[in-house]
Amino acid sequence: MTNATNWANNLPRKPLQSFPTKLFHWINVASLAVMMMSGLQIYNANPVFGGRSGWHILWPFTMGGWLAGGRHLHFAAMNVFALNLLAYGVYVIATRRWRHRFVGQNDLNALNQSRNPKRRVYAWHRIAYTAIIPILLGAIVTGIGMYKPAQFPWIAEALGGWFALRVMHLMTVPAVVGFAIMHSILALKAGGDRLVESMLWDGILTEEPYDQP
Amino acid sequence: MTNPNPVSRRSLLRLAGYSAGSLLVGGAGLTLLESVVGQATEPLNQRVEEWLFRPQTLVPEFSPDEIEPNALIVNSFRGTPVLDPATFQLTIDGEVERPVTLDLRAIQTMPMTSMIIRHVCVEGWAAIVQWGGVSLRSLLALVQPKPEARYVYFYSADGYYDSWDMASVVHPQTILAYEKNGTPLPIENGAPLRLASPIKLGYKQSKWVTRISLTSTLMAQRGYWEDLGYEWFAGL
Repeated sequence: MTNATNWANNLPRKPLQSFPTKLFHWINVASLAVMMMSGLQIYNANPVFGGRSGWHILWPFTMGGWLAGGRHLHFAAMNVFALNLLAYGVYVIATRRWRHRFVGQNDLNALNQSRNPKRRVYAWHRIAYTAIIPILLGAIVTGIGMYKPAQFPWIAEALGGWFALRVMHLMTVPAVVGFAIMHSILALKAGGDRLVESMLWDGILTEEPYDQP
Repeated sequence: MTNPNPVSRRSLLRLAGYSAGSLLVGGAGLTLLESVVGQATEPLNQRVEEWLFRPQTLVPEFSPDEIEPNALIVNSFRGTPVLDPATFQLTIDGEVERPVTLDLRAIQTMPMTSMIIRHVCVEGWAAIVQWGGVSLRSLLALVQPKPEARYVYFYSADGYYDSWDMASVVHPQTILAYEKNGTPLPIENGAPLRLASPIKLGYKQSKWVTRISLTSTLMAQRGYWEDLGYEWFAGL
């Protein structure tokens, strides 16, 4: 047995993540995947870099089949994505999770001082999943700036024009993909299978899976 | 920890496998269902779009030095029609009290509206353009729309057709343009008359407009691109 599994087996039996948290996470993952793939389909109509002769995104990474299809899926999923994020925000504030679930001074101190590798991984993990929140909010703001430029002209203006707006909106994709990889690795390092499964299906598909023998 | 953790590595690969599989299946499935998803969600989105739209509020304009003369791409669906400005006529009919037919000279003696706006294409690109022409609002004042007129159809010389909601048509920055960036409108941009507006996507801004027809209902044919599956409201 490795250190990580020993550590995981010594945790209390209750799932680490509440049911609402799991639900928010799943809806976020699914809607964000649709947003990114349908967004790349829209991107292909006129690539941000190089226009029509620029690099196009290949089929397995796009969704919708053609520009109108990509827009249909993008503008359907945007409501699910944004309302889910809003509901999560209300939940985080109402349950006072914002006080202790996100990166804080203690994590920065741990990175500077702690010699416990587990604590350091944990701090990095909290930095990663805290950082995704401004990235997702930024995607919504830049998206509104392009979807409704006549109603919200100050968004394009504040960000330096239309091209800058498109680039920033597109940058959500590499940011989220990079985040998803780091987040998966750090979650497994910080809490092992138990943490990962508690966010995904623990307590929904299985009942008390971590009962000790 | 210097030792790699075999359980975590296996878990990571499993997670990656599940994710890739779901993306492939989900992507293909939703691609097949895109028009169903669009039909299910477009009415709701359109309601939000109409709620956001302020029919009397001017969209902020740009200064002349911000014009991007090379950014405007010409997208025409069936080539450029040949129109003689000397014999050109614009007809306005349908649900109106006084249908009219106007020649270019009559239109160009009407008060001119000039605006420097961002023209936004559904493909994602945009261009800051100066358009000069006559507002739809003043053209409709000539024909006196009947109270039941709710939609406006635009028919073009190349066979292109489109329809707009009345509130967007009478927005003060919706014009039939005959001038682009300070010079007479080039034929490939829609001369002698084209729609220009900061509140609709480019495919709503018909070129070579020859007939404007007001209707009380939206017909089965709503617009060239709309009938192929594009969003009808397409507001900005």
